[in-house]
Amino acid sequence: MAAKPKEFVVWAEKYRPTKIKDIIDQEHVVNRVKAFLKDRNLPHMLFAGPPGTGKTTLALVIARELYGPQWRSNVLSLNASDERGIDVIRGKIKDFARTKPIGDVPFKLIILDEADAMTAEAQQALRRTMEDFAAITRFILICNYSSKIIEPIQSRCAVFRFKALPEKFQKEFINRIVKGEGLEITEDGIKALLDIAEGDLRKVANLLQAAAAMTKKIDANIVYDVASQAKPKEVEEMLNLAMKGNFLKAREKLHKMLLIEGLAGQDVIKQIYKQSLKLDIPEDKKVELIHLIGEYDFRISEGGDALIQLTSLLAHFALIAKKK
Amino acid sequence: MTWIRKYAPKSLKEYVNQKEAVAKFLAWIKNWKPGKKPLLFYGPPGVGKTALVYAYAHENNLAVIELNASDTRNYSTIRKVIGSSMKGATLFKKGKIFLIDEIDGLAPRYDAGAVNELLKIVKESRYPIVFIANDPYSPKLRHLRENCELVAFKKLSVYDVERRLKQILDAEGIKADKQVLRAIANRNAGDLRGAINDLEVVARGKKEITVKDLDVLGYREREENIFNTLKIIFKTKSPIAAKLSIMNIDKDPDEVFWWIEENVSNEYEKLEEIAKAYDALSIADIFRRRIMKRQNWRLMVYYTDMMTIGVALAKKEMYRKFTRYKPPSVLRTLGMLKYTREKEKQELKDLAEYLRCSTKKVKTEFLPFLKLIYKDRFKDK
Repeated sequence: MAAKPKEFVVWAEKYRPTKIKDIIDQEHVVNRVKAFLKDRNLPHMLFAGPPGTGKTTLALVIARELYGPQWRSNVLSLNASDERGIDVIRGKIKDFARTKPIGDVPFKLIILDEADAMTAEAQQALRRTMEDFAAITRFILICNYSSKIIEPIQSRCAVFRFKALPEKFQKEFINRIVKGEGLEITEDGIKALLDIAEGDLRKVANLLQAAAAMTKKIDANIVYDVASQAKPKEVEEMLNLAMKGNFLKAREKLHKMLLIEGLAGQDVIKQIYKQSLKLDIPEDKKVELIHLIGEYDFRISEGGDALIQLTSLLAHFALIAKKK
Repeated sequence: MTWIRKYAPKSLKEYVNQKEAVAKFLAWIKNWKPGKKPLLFYGPPGVGKTALVYAYAHENNLAVIELNASDTRNYSTIRKVIGSSMKGATLFKKGKIFLIDEIDGLAPRYDAGAVNELLKIVKESRYPIVFIANDPYSPKLRHLRENCELVAFKKLSVYDVERRLKQILDAEGIKADKQVLRAIANRNAGDLRGAINDLEVVARGKKEITVKDLDVLGYREREENIFNTLKIIFKTKSPIAAKLSIMNIDKDPDEVFWWIEENVSNEYEKLEEIAKAYDALSIADIFRRRIMKRQNWRLMVYYTDMMTIGVALAKKEMYRKFTRYKPPSVLRTLGMLKYTREKEKQELKDLAEYLRCSTKKVKTEFLPFLKLIYKDRFKDK
């Protein structure tokens, strides 16, 4: 990487609503939240839903509406994917939860984003904290899949399900940005955006910004072009090398991804799985591949070293391709 | 002359960092008079404890009378050395400093009474005395510690070390890429002496050094051993021979593992054999994980057997060829990347905070786009 975040303006952030009236769609959730805000009282909440549908945004809006400009002193916002250890739960979170709020709202707020990344043990530890300090601290847990949150926590929360945004509302968001940035976009450009983003407003903003970096007049070609450029191709290239029997070069690529770029083994194997279905090999070989990928995915999830496991997988890919 | 001596600082100007320690030392020595508490320098190895005394002495034309763990260390020697020159003046120098180095290495032979005696000598001395230790809090130094003023020396930063290495190379007229210096600085984690020693091994007599030259480092004493092990594993078809090959080796199994991994595709040529060998390594890895997770060391043999016997028996026949076995690229890459990775991690964290998501999401969902939007800034990648 070559730059500090200060130097970036990212539209996904720039166009993130800060007021409840600017939140797009999710009416069923927003209405209930409005009622809570009116009473100045909240239950613990669990926001579940696909990416880019406004979960984090709504949580931050709630914080601002409750505490005003000084919201930061009453809100702890953590990302559970980065800070998910049991020590964070017992340390940072508990320390914050047990102290009294500042100002006239009788409770503080802890926002735990990407909470589905927490281990079951960490969630168990969290459960006690949620109970013990409920009088002075409320939690908003955010996740993609509520099934990854243990039952006892779910039962302590009001669960809100966010839905992928319908086209009408995605268009509303596109228009905000187009107007705000002085862009032009064709009808098929919008269609292309909707097609790729699949209801994810973060993706919409990213695609638009990347397209706008090339030209102010955006059409479908540019959108698709940007989308394909932003798609990681390394896994595909690595598999192609392995399938051609060039195991050493494939191994080199794997080293680059895992060691230099620091990708997670589980993300890479997920990509391998997706790509392997598209490979140009006899269909019955694919069953063999899937079986293999599943086995190695299991080994990694058991704690195996991603590098050695994936290298072994590549060696087998090379072997299967040779036998075809 | 070794580079360590050649490039030892001759003045405080040449001395690297340790600003607080230097300030404390200067304040002490400039106002020194008989009876003043001696100093106890402490800190990790290679950060300039001894060098500070010598640099100051050199600059101010003082003689350094040094006693360290390599001298005959008993109480009477100390008394003799310190005692005899304690009162006399020097012929050519303006004064003296006593330096009692590696005091934690000296101390075990003494009981508290002896340290007492030593401190008595200290009190009579007409010249300043500095003690040096790595760990001042070891119980055996308690008494001494209470009677000294402590001066802490910190680990040097990678930058400090790198900068000094660069100066040395410039003085020697040797070219090097930044990566090499960084890697040397990194592997010595704050220890400038270790870094200069490594640099000398890599660079002495060369006009230019590159990352490749680093291969000699770290493997230099034990090379013979691991190469023999690899030769046995890759050439034998006997399980017992393969198993025994790692018995006397001076490396831990995890390192041997990566040496084997690196050379599987170096030795074996058939894909069947490579895949089979990796199967064995994959299983070995799972056993390693189980050992770690449950601290179940009974499983150790399965781990080492899979990686030796498993790999040895993956071949159909021995390859009658000479293979030049390579050190594991994985370990080298990881070692070299440690520094850049830390920096990148911090940058990712900053971005994650701004974008209000996890670093993982920054990587997968934002970076691909940011690279398109801010092309110029990501050029180097």
